[in-house]
Amino acid sequence: MDIIVCVKQVPETSEIGWDPKTGTLLREGAGGILNPTDKNALEAALQLREEHGGHITALSMGPPQAEEVLREALSMGVDRAVLLSDSLLAGADTLSTSYALGLAVKKVARYDLILCSKESSDGMTAQVGPQLAELLNLPQLTYATEIAVNHNRVRIKQRLEGGFRILETCLPALITVERGINQPRIPPMDSILETYRDREVQVWGAEELGGDKDHFGLKGSPTQARSVYSKRVKRGQVSILEGEPDEVARKLIGILRQRDLLRGLHGT
Amino acid sequence: MDFTLSGESKLMVKAARDFAEQVIEPTAAKIEEEDALPDDILQKLAKARMLGMMIPREYGGVGSTALNVILILEELAKTGSAAAFLMAFCNSVAETIYHWGSEDLRRRFLPPLCDGSSYPAMAFTEPGTGSDPTAITTTALPDGNSYILNGTKRFITQGHKRGFGVFYAKDEDERITAFMVDKSSQGYSWSKPWALMGLAGQGLVDVFLKDVKVPKEDILGEKGRGFHILLRWIAGERVQQMAFMVGMGQACLDESLRYAKERMVGGRPMTAMQGFQWMLAEMHTSIEACRWWTYRVASKQDEGTDIQVDSAALKLFVVPTIQEVARKALQIHGSYGYCKDYKMERLYRTIAHAGVTAGSTEIQKTIVGSALARSKGN
Repeated sequence: MDIIVCVKQVPETSEIGWDPKTGTLLREGAGGILNPTDKNALEAALQLREEHGGHITALSMGPPQAEEVLREALSMGVDRAVLLSDSLLAGADTLSTSYALGLAVKKVARYDLILCSKESSDGMTAQVGPQLAELLNLPQLTYATEIAVNHNRVRIKQRLEGGFRILETCLPALITVERGINQPRIPPMDSILETYRDREVQVWGAEELGGDKDHFGLKGSPTQARSVYSKRVKRGQVSILEGEPDEVARKLIGILRQRDLLRGLHGT
Repeated sequence: MDFTLSGESKLMVKAARDFAEQVIEPTAAKIEEEDALPDDILQKLAKARMLGMMIPREYGGVGSTALNVILILEELAKTGSAAAFLMAFCNSVAETIYHWGSEDLRRRFLPPLCDGSSYPAMAFTEPGTGSDPTAITTTALPDGNSYILNGTKRFITQGHKRGFGVFYAKDEDERITAFMVDKSSQGYSWSKPWALMGLAGQGLVDVFLKDVKVPKEDILGEKGRGFHILLRWIAGERVQQMAFMVGMGQACLDESLRYAKERMVGGRPMTAMQGFQWMLAEMHTSIEACRWWTYRVASKQDEGTDIQVDSAALKLFVVPTIQEVARKALQIHGSYGYCKDYKMERLYRTIAHAGVTAGSTEIQKTIVGSALARSKGN
């Protein structure tokens, strides 16, 4: 069973800020790490390979330093790592990213399953997996907390807001996974050593990918961030209302009305 | 001079941090309570391939460096647990066997140390001596193709766990020789573990050797050269011990920062107050100095340099420096730092060990001072 896992390098800290003028992330000082849920996608792939055999390719798009996260994937046990890196690909939104990843998937050619995390910890759009499935015309199963493959079919347990549901489709397919699907393995030290000393991360540029260059990078991105701002949190004074419950409730409603916060609600 | 860690080292650090958080930290309180390491911790260290780090692959090791061992140990040490010490100990004993052992000894003893099927031991100390070779009373007398060992060894880490250890005894020429002793040998017995102030679960026992038979081919290194083997081992051990201290010192700072950011005094967090900021700044500065000197000595070890004096000087500096870091961390925590519910309490007790084990801080002064006195030039 051949699997492609899409992974991404994200900034290390969750406290990373934005430049309000340019609308870009302030990445200075923040190291890059493997997107945490991508580790779950990799672990799911490794477990499926242990059960069914096959070959795993880890695929990423990013600047040259994104090679580091692919080395981590290799040290976890994937067979092959490919980085899409080219100045033409820079500044891509989710659609343009999915387009480039789709070309790379076609170039890899042999696959039964594509695994993605449900979202990255920086962008948090949860769009790349589904868009990639659409571009490749594959069935997609999202938010998986369990995956089981039986012959030519795959079944997942999908997490919903109020419960779960079981979904099944035929292979090839694309699945996005939830963080809780498994506990990712810690790469053993000898595997890390081997990854850095003996293994290769293949780098594909725009030429190797082929396709329509107008769909690459910033140029091929229909989404443009008009402005980005940090949420301002106003800290007000805390008032503690005292008295009997009915009396306190009346006081609270009075305050809310006074501040015009109950407009549009009936029966108040 | 390049102070940048390689990608390989950085990923090893990350993996070690995950191991510390996912495997050691959840069991740390239980280890304290039971004063014993879980039975499976050695296997988990072996599965993570953290044992035999400096041993070539052909003997079951990883083929890495002393520096990488130090980096991994520093992360594990942040738990303040003896599990971190066990990892370091397995590596230093394995390296000693590799360095001094014959091909036969390497083939027989290194694979079980690397795969976690054997606990090591290093037995020099006796009830009457810590580091004086002339005071050793354990004897090794020839008997055909074997030696017969008799005596008592004190404070032997993992002396009661399956496997083998390096035991030092006076041979028929009154010289110290190192022997590979199987802990399941007839005549090998041990006391209950000593109850320690910190490092719960380290498993320090006294070992009693009564007519324990060791084949002559199981002499480690040359006959009569045991004390050299010990000195070289202990120099590497000192560097590891200091990495352990650096990791624990960092944990003291991390715990203090977390506490001081949350703890409000007069409506402001403690970190907003200059007095506490100064303490945190001094702690950070001290740890950085200790960390980079430790890395430097480990790098020298990888270069093949004799580090006996360097490691002694390192210990002389790091032990009191990190103990002062721990003292400040305790002050920042106030009474909470003295409570067993807080990690700070465990760290404070464990940090105390380094001043008196594997050679006291004072004896390091003798090593460094006598080396300076012997040195040529002014």
